[in-house]
Amino acid sequence: MAGKALAEELRSIVGKGNVLEGSVDLQLYQYDGYLEERRPDVVAFVHSTEEVAEVVRACNRFGTPFVARGGGTNLSGGTIPFRGGAVIEMIRMNRILEMDTANLRARVQPGMFNLELGNALAPLGYQYLPDPASQKACTLGGNVAENAGGPHCFKYGVTTNHVLGLTVVQPDGEVVQYGGKAPDTPGYDLTGLFVGSEGTLGICTEMVVRIVRLPEGVKTLLAVYDSIEAGSETVSAIVGAGMVPATLEMMDQLVIQAVEGAMKCGLPVDCATVLLIEVDGLKDDLEIQAKAIEDLCKAHGAREVRVAKDEAERALLWAGRRGAFGAVARLAPSFLVCDGTVPRTALPVVLRKVAEVAAKYDLRIPNVFHAGDGNLHPLILFDWRDPDLMARVKKAGMEILGLCAELGGTISGEHGVGLEKMESMRLVLSEADIQAQKRVKRTFDPEDLANPGKMFPAAEEVSHAH
Amino acid sequence: MLTDQGALRARLEGIVGPPQVTSGPGANGAFAVDGQVPGLVVRPGTQEEAAQVVGACAAAGAALVPWGGGTAMGLGNPPARVDAVVRLDRLDRVVEWDPANLCVTAEAGMRLAALEELTARHKAVLPLDPPAARQVTLGGLVAANQSGPGRLLYGTVRDWLLGLRVVLPDGERIHCGGRVIKNVSGYDMNKLFIKSLGTLGIITEVTFKLLPMPAQRTVAIGLFPDAPAAWKVVQRTLASFLLPEALEFFNPAALALLLPDLGVPAMPGACALAVSLAGSPETVSRQTRDFATLFTAGGGKAVTLAGEPAATAWEAVRNLRGRPAGTRILSQVAVPISRTGALAAAAEKAGESCGCPAVVTAHAGSGVVWALFLPGSQPDSALAGALKELRLEAEAAEGSLVLQEAPPAVKRNLDAWGAPGGGLGMMRKLKAEFDPRGVCNPGRFVGAI
Repeated sequence: MAGKALAEELRSIVGKGNVLEGSVDLQLYQYDGYLEERRPDVVAFVHSTEEVAEVVRACNRFGTPFVARGGGTNLSGGTIPFRGGAVIEMIRMNRILEMDTANLRARVQPGMFNLELGNALAPLGYQYLPDPASQKACTLGGNVAENAGGPHCFKYGVTTNHVLGLTVVQPDGEVVQYGGKAPDTPGYDLTGLFVGSEGTLGICTEMVVRIVRLPEGVKTLLAVYDSIEAGSETVSAIVGAGMVPATLEMMDQLVIQAVEGAMKCGLPVDCATVLLIEVDGLKDDLEIQAKAIEDLCKAHGAREVRVAKDEAERALLWAGRRGAFGAVARLAPSFLVCDGTVPRTALPVVLRKVAEVAAKYDLRIPNVFHAGDGNLHPLILFDWRDPDLMARVKKAGMEILGLCAELGGTISGEHGVGLEKMESMRLVLSEADIQAQKRVKRTFDPEDLANPGKMFPAAEEVSHAH
Repeated sequence: MLTDQGALRARLEGIVGPPQVTSGPGANGAFAVDGQVPGLVVRPGTQEEAAQVVGACAAAGAALVPWGGGTAMGLGNPPARVDAVVRLDRLDRVVEWDPANLCVTAEAGMRLAALEELTARHKAVLPLDPPAARQVTLGGLVAANQSGPGRLLYGTVRDWLLGLRVVLPDGERIHCGGRVIKNVSGYDMNKLFIKSLGTLGIITEVTFKLLPMPAQRTVAIGLFPDAPAAWKVVQRTLASFLLPEALEFFNPAALALLLPDLGVPAMPGACALAVSLAGSPETVSRQTRDFATLFTAGGGKAVTLAGEPAATAWEAVRNLRGRPAGTRILSQVAVPISRTGALAAAAEKAGESCGCPAVVTAHAGSGVVWALFLPGSQPDSALAGALKELRLEAEAAEGSLVLQEAPPAVKRNLDAWGAPGGGLGMMRKLKAEFDPRGVCNPGRFVGAI
């Protein structure tokens, strides 16, 4: 480890007060939303593209690995400095550089919180569509690194659909502009390749994002069910009827109870599941769409359908959904968030099988998920002081991902591979597929310094080769 | 040049069968790329055969050019070498059709029109609408990143592609993405192959997500006395809540080509806007009304089409940039949205400056201008000079000008892609990593990749 000498050099780049190397300070940077921990050797707060580039070049000179960190909300260990080295703290690069409504673009720094951009755009009548549930605490740069999703993906896509240009400090410290405000930039889509690369291909220091007008109208409905199958079947029925709601979110009973315990949103605690459905767009047919959805919900066994009467009621329903992960923390000291995706019509099957996994390993697994995307988030509750329980939790998590892969889905919809899912990659990728991805990594980062030790499974033993 | 074409031919015949390999200028003349006739043309019948074909070409050091429908073969610089053209048209099967999940997987040689017919039967649609759907193949659509008017509301290939199967330049087969609409299991490898023009491998299978088919569609047309009046309406539209599928601009020369299909009266010197409005009856009728008002308030004459006439008109709009046939120079200018009108005007000026009036259309809300020049007796250098000027204006606006079609003589005077933007170094490294021997479509891409 480079230790003191690197820290000294980083101080000369970012300023004396902007480098941490005390053990208590470093402890704060050894974890994120996943279960593992690893302490960095040094943390540097950066303020500009030039500083990031110089810090990265310094790391190159010392052969020290580095990882950028935003809000630290990552759920798969993406921000844990697995091989030690430097954490590059992006949180102070949090400005809007340009609000360009004429071109429907904004140029922003990556340390800005997702919600802050939304709050800045709304008074102008615009929005940035990707809205992860953690939008209060997650940064736009982190969203790029993870290709973050959120409740609005079914209609509007994920982060990659809304990021058109990036300023990137490549792993060797070179600063390069990928894409930009104009469409169809000639050449390979490096922007698209970079989004979702989990910090392994470099650090983005500036981004050009698509902004769009706020919709003219929004209608939010809550459908209440006594059976979780009925709820998940309704989801496919709505899509089958040719409708494209902005959101189709589900929460099960354990989550609803936790949410109500935490924040009193008026959700019925005795039901099996609720569906949170939102339609948006031109106001002319929203009432009609809402009525059609209400009818479909009832035809599929909803015992009650509520329509938010005003913005306050809508906000309350959303507060429950957005606060769900936080509220579930009341149920147990810890939980593991699974993030698997299946084709939408397989939802009823996978939910039943998740319940079987819970019974098999004697675990409690509340469930909150993006039903329209077929993206489920079983939350496996546990207490980290119980090693036997921990082992069962990890097995159950793997089994759930295996189910998703078997049903034609994948092992991560929006939380990334990080440390958590390196071995699960083999559930959906062949050795050749993995080797092709490794070629990309090698091309961008031949020294393996950018967030190393992530994303790829260990080399396959010869006997397992297929 | 390939040293032993006979040996490669025998090897390829062993893979695909003798009738599926042709050689000689007579048989292969139709597959010339910028005038270079390939020594061999080979038509694999399965994805596995395609992989073996690529492997055999790689082993022989033969430069190969993938060929789908041939509609984008004018795109890019003249190839450094063409030893073998690999035709994908026999790979035209549907692999998995999953209407309940609005998802389809098909082989890369399937024609876009065939996919459109399949999805329409189940009231679903892939909202990518380049011209010539009967020729365009799904693999070519992805590799050449083709788009059409609908990109305003629906985006481009990158917004609809869920998965790919690709044969890498060494013959290895890989799978990218999957068939779910959210997928972050490793790098987003689909993005590496979209618009890579076959320089990193050959796409053999694609998976797209689909959209439920809108219940209704109308077309509103506005005829304006001059271009500035039309572009003011574009601005107002973009600042409104309205959500047209497409918003197209036509200069007088383009409008003249369209008139017979639009069913609107001729108005000498007029420009036009055409919008496609799709959705529920309520939103369609509201938007139809609003656009008529917008057009009229903007000093234009408004015409609304519904039913069959709307479909006919829109088919003509979609296919316009393929017309008329003949010797063509088709360039695509891409700039930030607010500069679209300025670049459309610059394209007209470029035509006037070299005595070759331009047919100019634009995806007016998307930052894309198509300028078509039909050269007569002008020297190639004059045409190339005018295009260079236009390119400088596009690049000054943070954009680009790309030659989609041009005679080789023009391409010799003008790089097809222009000044490479950021990342060219990394692009070259990617090419070297995936295709170290430079056998896949060498020389046609950005920076001579």
